[in-house]
Amino acid sequence: MMTGNSVETHNLTVIYNKKPAIWNIDFTLPAGKIIGVMGPNGSGKSTLLKAIMGIIEPNIGYAKIFDKDLDDVRERVSYVPQRQSVDWDFPASVWDVVAMGRYARKGMLKRLSAEDKSIIEESLEKVNMTAFAQRQISQLSGGQQQRVFLARALAQQADIYFMDEPFVGVDAATEEAIINLLKSMRDQGKTLIVVHHDLHTAQDYFEWMVLLNTRLVRVGPVEDVFNQETLTETYGGTLTTLSKVASLLQEKSFPMRHK
Amino acid sequence: MNDIWIIITASLVAANAAILGSFLIMRRMAMVGDAISHAVLPGIVIAYFLTNSRASFPMLMGAAASGMIVTTFIQFFNKKVKLQNDASIGISYTFLFAVGIILISFFGSNVDLDQECVLYGEIAYVPIDTLFIGELNIGPRQFWILLTTLIIIVSAVIMAYRKLVLTTFDEAFASAIGINVVFWQYYLMAGVSLTTVVSFESVGAVLVIAFIAGPPATAYLLTHSFKRMIYLSILIGIVCSIIGYYTAVWLNGSIAGAISSVIGLVFAIVFAVDLFKRRQVSRQVTQTSN
Ligand SMILES: Nc1ncnc2c1ncn2[C@@H]1O[C@H](COP(=O)(O)OP(=O)(O)OP(=O)(O)O)[C@@H](O)[C@H]1O
Ligand SMILES: [Mg+2]
Repeated sequence: MMTGNSVETHNLTVIYNKKPAIWNIDFTLPAGKIIGVMGPNGSGKSTLLKAIMGIIEPNIGYAKIFDKDLDDVRERVSYVPQRQSVDWDFPASVWDVVAMGRYARKGMLKRLSAEDKSIIEESLEKVNMTAFAQRQISQLSGGQQQRVFLARALAQQADIYFMDEPFVGVDAATEEAIINLLKSMRDQGKTLIVVHHDLHTAQDYFEWMVLLNTRLVRVGPVEDVFNQETLTETYGGTLTTLSKVASLLQEKSFPMRHK
Repeated sequence: MNDIWIIITASLVAANAAILGSFLIMRRMAMVGDAISHAVLPGIVIAYFLTNSRASFPMLMGAAASGMIVTTFIQFFNKKVKLQNDASIGISYTFLFAVGIILISFFGSNVDLDQECVLYGEIAYVPIDTLFIGELNIGPRQFWILLTTLIIIVSAVIMAYRKLVLTTFDEAFASAIGINVVFWQYYLMAGVSLTTVVSFESVGAVLVIAFIAGPPATAYLLTHSFKRMIYLSILIGIVCSIIGYYTAVWLNGSIAGAISSVIGLVFAIVFAVDLFKRRQVSRQVTQTSN
């Protein structure tokens, strides 16, 4: 079991065109847990992930991963970008994309060894995409594309995974398969930081949660931070959201009625 | 013998352009070649005034320097000002081209310098300008320059292949695993500047631009593997050079013009066939699903 801190941020601030996307984010996250990052559209979830991984330079503040500078732990860090962030018409096969996960470990010149290849195959297997290995990536459905991105991350064999909305556009069965995969990774001691939108499933999926709305609203174990007050603070006081939250919390407190 | 030299020269340019063009079109930056061809003007003018000669080496250096400057501008507008790629390219090169024109008019219009002398090299003259080792004629000067360039580009791309592919396909992931995305963008653009500038002198700007955009776009329609796309675009470029050359001879017309037209024609044919095949497939699918 992994113990200690996974991510630590200090006054992390990113400003686009004079408007802050994230403002003064200060938190410490535990290792070995599935941690949700939630907040409305444009609340800075993707920006937070990118700033922690050094993909964008923060205007103020810094982040540490496993108590070290990012450059010292690069090969332990993996990233699953938002699916729409790449051009799926790029001429490559599923296998080619998953193999990219190995480059991080191998360096950029060495040939892929037999071991690398078996890791790639294993990763495809885990997301149930073995049959599609030679398929051109432009001929995949949205859910399949998402699984290719997950397989690429798995192939990296990292210790901490940042995933930006891995459940968007996947059907219920795939979503369940993915969450089971994440849980088994967690059981192996991996840390998973997952941007998520669905309030209904949040309590089941995550052990910890970061509630974000440009500023940090709350961070902590789900049972402490997921309640009507904090969700109102995060999502604003619109009637629909409020009533949704209320009914959600009700469902939670009477699980028997639901099941 | 002249035929052979011209075809070889065109093929060398085609190979260089195909390799870099494949990356450029996947990055939606195919027009960068066009941009560089205009943006080199101020560099050429400044080189001319500094050395007071039309010797080609200083001009080449001036052109290469402005090639890098336009690349920096494009990068700046794209990444810092957050403009679209095509808008960044458009603004950058028109600006530098304008600076070149202002420089010419500022220094006096009596100078014996026009854009054509550097920009529109004439491939038909390639065999005339030969190199000698002692008494021995070792072939056209352009051939040796282009061959050297090809060796540089091929080794540079082989060494950085995975990084170039990764930064082209998924910038954020590349950056997350510690690849310096901006550096590799410049690396690629340095290659493009070198190739375009060197090739202008031998085959002229229009043909270079046609080679950068045409064969890779054609190859893209024909294959699903990026590596094969590169090989295929080299092959298409060479075949177009051969057909284009003999067409020009046959029609007694411009060689660069003929090759460019063949490149366009080949793309059009492949595109039409591709479209036709897709229609057929989708018709079959609808028939079987009925
Ligand atoms: N490259 C950029 N340039 C300018 N502004 C940006 C850029 N990326 C994000 N922003 C802005 O920063 C804010 C936060 O964006 P971000 O993508 O981090 O939000 P998000 O929480 O991931 O949203 P979503 O749920 O829609 O994915 C938004 O207001 C957005 O418009
Ligand atoms: Mg986002």
